[in-house]
Amino acid sequence: MNAPAPTPRLTLGPVLFHWPAERLADFYRRIADEAPVERVHVGEVVCGKRMPFSDPCWPDVIERLERAGKEVVLATLALPATVRERRSIAELCGDDRMVEVNDITALPARSGRPFVTGPFLNVYNEATARFLAAKGARTICPPVELSLAAIGGMAAACPEVGFELFAFGRLPLAISGRCYHARLHGLHKDSCQFTCEQDPDGLAVDTLDNQAFLAINGVQTLSNQVQAFCPEPRVLAAHKVARLRLSPHTCDMVAVAEAYRALLDGRKEPAAVRAALSALDLPGEMVEGYAHARPGWMTEAAID
Amino acid sequence: MEARLPAFVRHLFPTFAGAPLGPALTWSLRALARRRPGLFDRLGDFAGERYFIDPVDLAFAFVVVPDGERASVRVTDKQGGGDCGVTIRGPILSLLALLDGSQDGDALFFNRVIAISGRTEAVLALRNAIEDAELTPADLIGLSGTPGRLADAGILGGLDVARRFALAAAAPAPEERRS
Amino acid sequence: MSGPARMEARMELVCPAGTPATLRAAVEAGADAVYCGFRDETNARNFPGLNFSGEELAEGVRFAHGHGTKVLVAINTFARVGEVDRWRKAADTAVACGADAIIAGDIAVLDHVATNHRDSVRLHLSVQAAASTPEAIRFYAETFGVRRVVIPRVLSVPEITALNKAIDVETEAFVYGGLCVMVEGRCYLSSYATGKSPNLNGVCSPPEAVSYDEDDKGMAARLSGFTIDRYAPGEPTGYPTLCKGRFNAGGKTSYLFEEPVSLNAGSLIEGLKKAGVTALKIEGRQRGKGYVSEVVRAFRRAVDAVEAGGDAVEIDRILAGQSEGGRQTAGAYRKIWR
Repeated sequence: MNAPAPTPRLTLGPVLFHWPAERLADFYRRIADEAPVERVHVGEVVCGKRMPFSDPCWPDVIERLERAGKEVVLATLALPATVRERRSIAELCGDDRMVEVNDITALPARSGRPFVTGPFLNVYNEATARFLAAKGARTICPPVELSLAAIGGMAAACPEVGFELFAFGRLPLAISGRCYHARLHGLHKDSCQFTCEQDPDGLAVDTLDNQAFLAINGVQTLSNQVQAFCPEPRVLAAHKVARLRLSPHTCDMVAVAEAYRALLDGRKEPAAVRAALSALDLPGEMVEGYAHARPGWMTEAAID
Repeated sequence: MEARLPAFVRHLFPTFAGAPLGPALTWSLRALARRRPGLFDRLGDFAGERYFIDPVDLAFAFVVVPDGERASVRVTDKQGGGDCGVTIRGPILSLLALLDGSQDGDALFFNRVIAISGRTEAVLALRNAIEDAELTPADLIGLSGTPGRLADAGILGGLDVARRFALAAAAPAPEERRS
Repeated sequence: MSGPARMEARMELVCPAGTPATLRAAVEAGADAVYCGFRDETNARNFPGLNFSGEELAEGVRFAHGHGTKVLVAINTFARVGEVDRWRKAADTAVACGADAIIAGDIAVLDHVATNHRDSVRLHLSVQAAASTPEAIRFYAETFGVRRVVIPRVLSVPEITALNKAIDVETEAFVYGGLCVMVEGRCYLSSYATGKSPNLNGVCSPPEAVSYDEDDKGMAARLSGFTIDRYAPGEPTGYPTLCKGRFNAGGKTSYLFEEPVSLNAGSLIEGLKKAGVTALKIEGRQRGKGYVSEVVRAFRRAVDAVEAGGDAVEIDRILAGQSEGGRQTAGAYRKIWR
């Protein structure tokens, strides 16, 4: 008999949206006190222009989370462009805490010290995973389009790394040099007036036939639908998944974390967890196609 | 880029299914497959697809199955595409221009000169296979050597004249012209 | 400084070849280099009926080299879990065929070529790797010996100038053809709708998911049932590429991400040369001989004119008919695009 696989841990991913500093402070205060997650990623990933607004709040947030026993990971920008943005990456990579690498830009600065790769870094196979592990990757959260089977294949071939699956939240699908919030509002990116702040879960993008489809968040495009993959613990164990990532939204994230905790502890069946999630104020329909190597928009019901 | 046949040219073509065009084209296609067997490889699984080719300025259409030595071309009426996975519609001169590579399929499609429906991937496979085949009229009618070169010169020259005729005929009707 | 040295060299015109016939057309139209890929998922233009077998590539290399043209082989998708050897073998085959360079974006492929073929083939970093900072480019250069970077289509000309001053490798910039508005290699829109994507399968908005449906309102172009655009009868259409679609957002209907336009940086050739760019790339391995011949010929004339110290000839007008939707943009090269 093999030893039972350790229960997967829960990670709260970085907030992808432009939330005001007060909202971030309130959010993380509650996460610190109530959410059953082991690891919390903080910092701006999507747009460097937002950093002056959120930067002042991070020291208190980090202190509060660490005092509550959470492991804090410092997330870095996915598309650094300006000198200031590149410098921020170098500074974060110098920290003693764990760092989330979302662009190769951060790799030279962090090489040889432990890091997490976020879903914006292209890790598609075991050879790439092993290469990054040798540079210091301890946790790899692969791009969202990879299936559970693919992640399991990497995990089996690369046991020195913990693999993390993007389980909950609107799926980050693309990033651009162009800001779609600014474009929609007829503004230039350089004078965008931070209109993305009006949409704390992203702005819905529907087709001409009014099908719910995508969502925009400044330079980022996400799914309109919400990934809500709720596998049985034995399925995660079979694929050697070490962590599930929950991506923050304005809905009750403590309730989301509690639902997934109950799932991982075997206290609730997947159907009951789905029911609990669907009762929350989610920004879109619950989907899980990617986990099954199907189109990402597919719902659990459509797959079977 | 669009050229529609003027009425008098259209009348030079046979007007109904039943002309021995189908068997002749079937024979040509199979002969081509025998001479250049690699040519149909690019089609992969799409060789067995049924393509409904509908020249909008002719009175009939074709059902083509480009399956190498088992290829077939059937002349049919305009409603004959019911069991086809793919429909390609356009003026005959534009369709012929796709065959000899003198015009780009994407450009013709984006400008709505030709229309496609059904399995888009099968259209793409056919388009790419034809592109690489670099077909000449002589290939299609099974001639080689000097007769082939004469046939190419004659037919391509004839097509060029027809296209110029068609463009000239279309010129007085600006509402039909597209960018 | 490598900057002034680069200024003296002639810019290289890198042209697409989806089939052997197109390769010959590009070579004959004046390409300095052609790029192509194998007929499988190892390259990012994995469309039905397109691309090269090993034998076809070997023959293509012979033809191109006979005309003084280089052949760059794109192995630029991301190797699938458990099948990395297929990508490695594709690289081995390209080297055996005499390719001048391999264009790769996956660390697994870069690592294999750097370890096994460093002396026999140049390594170019694919745009799919989306390396846009000096730190990222230096990492690929120092780790894998990458000699050239195909730069992401999100940078403006001043940014490319600054980038070239900070790095020691050549840069290659797209000047014509399809335009990705999302950062290449980091876009999963296609797999979200269809299950297939550039990184996984070498296709974006794959043709088998496309349908053109006529109804009383005109024609709807759909991708896996999602309506990407609608066209009035007779209106020029486009391929339903997700990021060029029309959508409803914030109470407005618009081409939210990008209009159905093509990139044409023909008027910026001189600017790109001054920015230190080594090679100009024409997109379009999925396009036909007619397209490739016309576009390559036009750019050949324009590049030669700039190299001779004159102005780029007015090529926008000549090429307008070849574009998707018939319209063109200079894209991110002009900062206003953002």
